[in-house]
Amino acid sequence: MMLEWTPETMRIGMLAAFGTAIAAPLAGVLFAAAGLGRRAPRGLAVTTATVSLVASLTMTVLWHARDEAPLTLGSRFGGGWPLHVDGLTAVLFPYVSLIALAILLVAPRRDLEEAAVARMLFGLAATLALIGTSHPLLLVVLWIVTAWSTWRSTRASLGCRTAARVYGIYMVVAAACMAAGTFLLVTDPPWERSASSVGAAGGWLVAVAVMIRKGIFPFHSWGPALFSGAPTSVALMATMPQVGAYTAVRLLVGHADGVATELEVLSQFALLTAVYGAALAMVQQELRGFLGYLAMSQSALVLAGLSGRLPMELNGAFCVWISSGLAITGISLATWALESRAGAISLRTLQGRFWDAPALAAFFLLFGMASIGLPGTLSFVAGDLIVSGSLDDQLYAGLMVITSTVLCGIAVMRCWFHVFGGPSAIDSPRHAILTREQVPLTTLFLVLVGFGLVPRPLVESLERAAERILQRHDDVDHEPDAEHTRRSPPRFSRPFDSIGLPDMKGMSRC
Amino acid sequence: MNRHLLFSSLVICQVAAPALALVAVGLPALVGRAPSERFTCRAVGSGFGVAFVAALITLAALAFRGFRPEEVHLGSWFSVGHHDATIDLVADALSVPYVCFSAGLCLLVNLFALKYLHREPGFTRFFLLLALFGLGMNLMVLAGSIDVMFAGWEFVGISSTLLIGFFLERRNATQAALRAFTTYRICDVGLLAASVVIHRAVGSGDFERLFGVDWPYGTCLVPLETARIVSLLLVFAALGKTAQLPFSGWLPRAMEGPTPSSAIFYGALSIHAGAYILLRCEALLEQTPIARAALIAIGTGTALHASLVGRVQTDLKSSLAYASMTQASLILVEIGLGWRMIPLFHVISHAVLRSLQILRSPSALHDRHELEAALGGHPGPATRPASRWVPQRWSAAAYRVALDRGYEEMLVGKLFVGPVQKIIGFAASIERRWIAWLGGDFPGGRT
Repeated sequence: MMLEWTPETMRIGMLAAFGTAIAAPLAGVLFAAAGLGRRAPRGLAVTTATVSLVASLTMTVLWHARDEAPLTLGSRFGGGWPLHVDGLTAVLFPYVSLIALAILLVAPRRDLEEAAVARMLFGLAATLALIGTSHPLLLVVLWIVTAWSTWRSTRASLGCRTAARVYGIYMVVAAACMAAGTFLLVTDPPWERSASSVGAAGGWLVAVAVMIRKGIFPFHSWGPALFSGAPTSVALMATMPQVGAYTAVRLLVGHADGVATELEVLSQFALLTAVYGAALAMVQQELRGFLGYLAMSQSALVLAGLSGRLPMELNGAFCVWISSGLAITGISLATWALESRAGAISLRTLQGRFWDAPALAAFFLLFGMASIGLPGTLSFVAGDLIVSGSLDDQLYAGLMVITSTVLCGIAVMRCWFHVFGGPSAIDSPRHAILTREQVPLTTLFLVLVGFGLVPRPLVESLERAAERILQRHDDVDHEPDAEHTRRSPPRFSRPFDSIGLPDMKGMSRC
Repeated sequence: MNRHLLFSSLVICQVAAPALALVAVGLPALVGRAPSERFTCRAVGSGFGVAFVAALITLAALAFRGFRPEEVHLGSWFSVGHHDATIDLVADALSVPYVCFSAGLCLLVNLFALKYLHREPGFTRFFLLLALFGLGMNLMVLAGSIDVMFAGWEFVGISSTLLIGFFLERRNATQAALRAFTTYRICDVGLLAASVVIHRAVGSGDFERLFGVDWPYGTCLVPLETARIVSLLLVFAALGKTAQLPFSGWLPRAMEGPTPSSAIFYGALSIHAGAYILLRCEALLEQTPIARAALIAIGTGTALHASLVGRVQTDLKSSLAYASMTQASLILVEIGLGWRMIPLFHVISHAVLRSLQILRSPSALHDRHELEAALGGHPGPATRPASRWVPQRWSAAAYRVALDRGYEEMLVGKLFVGPVQKIIGFAASIERRWIAWLGGDFPGGRT
């Protein structure tokens, strides 16, 4: 008997896929705890992550088939639901699962003992659960769980105590701000007319928590410390899903009318961080330090876009989220593979690694270029959108975004020439790239190129998600009006108005 | 066959052929199965060959109908709000002759490089980058919208950088590549910002809505203020790739790359990319006297500087680099003067002559050594009649200035690069100390 795909069956299918995506890594944790994956920890981890990825993709397909209508479950509280699948979640689920799978495939054997695998799978499940909710209290709990998971993984790794300590200090403060801020936001929502200063204080506390978790200046030091001192898998799983950005979307951006000042401050600091991180990436003496600051700069661009009020800015931020995440994961994995052959890599002198590992040099370059807007990749589209959106919003914001892009480009190229340029060591062996490294790196690159050449489905889907988020108060009761792209007038005057540059569609000749 | 369909197919062919060559060589190389030298050269050569033939047919068809432009709309790439990124190409009196000349030169260099780089470790890498350059050049030249032009411009910049640093084992080559890339990136700000302003002004990047595509009879369709901003930004963008003051330091160093790439990039095509975008947008420039004045002033200054510095160079490729810079500057002056056909002919004639000189330079040196061996010594310095009329003191001062490359790099380093490096270095050292302190990794603290 054929299964009939009614809206209800699709809804059930989505729920099943959602559950499977989270349950698969949890099952992996249980297997590992029971000692069942001792012989082949990579096999166990890759299997569960693959199941999670397939389930995530299934959920995304079904969500699309349901006309991209948001799926919620449970009772609404504080503007959110315990289970909430919308355009952003539908994109982030496969994105996070893909990154986790790529990490597990590339990870060197010595970093994949059973306990490390269990911790990583637990972190993956917690992150997916967080991305699947908009309920404020659940967000706080999962926020703490994911931070604890990263801290535990870092502390358990050999020689990573310094990084664990730095991360721990920042995250304790962030978790306290998040818990207190969310409590105040829920008790006195600032977006309601009767709100008092209690809710406003909550908004500020959540904003500070987001800044810390996102590694925004001056609360950024844990990011580079984690990249420099923790295993690559831990650093990537802590930063690439961008839990801080997700929290900002759910608790702040969706209620922009009530927390406009907080968002504006976040935007200014994020822009500063994007430029500052890119500038510091240019002068790093160690490859991992470079990765930390590059990730910090790109991640700040996401928050800068999210803090804007135009759907185009939000859309650009989502695209940067995905493109920079995939690209930096690619660079980091190429670096990890290189380090597993040659040890830590300095940028003080030319290292001449090209001659040992030409394929990794190619991947490093391709992902590096993809992170700074190589035409034909998703980052080109993302850069175009975020620059246009921010220039529309505020002239200097656009210039800051452009500056950070320029500096990141110089930093990436400097790093590539320092790592791969220079004469080869006399006895250096030529390391062929392994299949388990080549497959995920190629896949990540093809995803970047695929969405770069045909960006329309992703961009349109994210545009609808951005519009829904900006009109979140209404989306339960009725569908958002397609014509209505702005909740309220912009906070800033349009920069080009002041220099006489109005919309010119259909204007006569000069 | 439908006339528009014929034109569309021919124009798409000119872009698709090098792109397919890039994929045909690049994909196997990426999965660790680099193709043979013969296949690589044939694939890339076929790409350029097909593009060249298609461009010739398009040129003939265009000439037949009096060079009336033909636009090829390949649809919208993506669109959000008022931002519509369209994929538009245009075949007109500017783009098609330029593609003929660029694809033809790429084809010749491809044939030359087969022998020149035979058994070189980076053989496949060179041809891949050459294909990427050809794709970028054709995209940039045929672009009917600023988005496509920017994509092509970026491909040209990236391939140029990687070819300057082709000999990765040489420290000088990597430094020169990084210097060129830094200059490109700084000047790319102009094109990126111009793209955003154009989108903001007309709702898309389509040139048709900006100044029409009837080159050289385009008319500005936007207000003067927009035209001024876009023109100034485009002039800034052009300064980097055309190696104008104060961004000229990268060009002589760029000769670290293999001779075939030097010929095509810094003798022929890449050095004129800036001039091309200014020619394409000349209708906007026409409305902006300040941008034209800037072009004339910078072009004249650079021409004098490059001419002076070029005279004291002791190696052939540096001499040729400064000669290229001089001519590129003069072309910018011509564009600033409002001429249209003269700069186009100047570009083509200079490119052909200079690439021939650069390609010939290794064998010319070889011939020179043979001549010296036959004569039993150096034939002596060339006589320079003009120098007789200059007082000795002036001549010595000019020589000193020229040896220091007009103090241009010293000034840029002292006034801009040095202070910026100091500030960033200071911030980086504070960061390191802060992380060490937080992590308990400080002198006397727990580790």
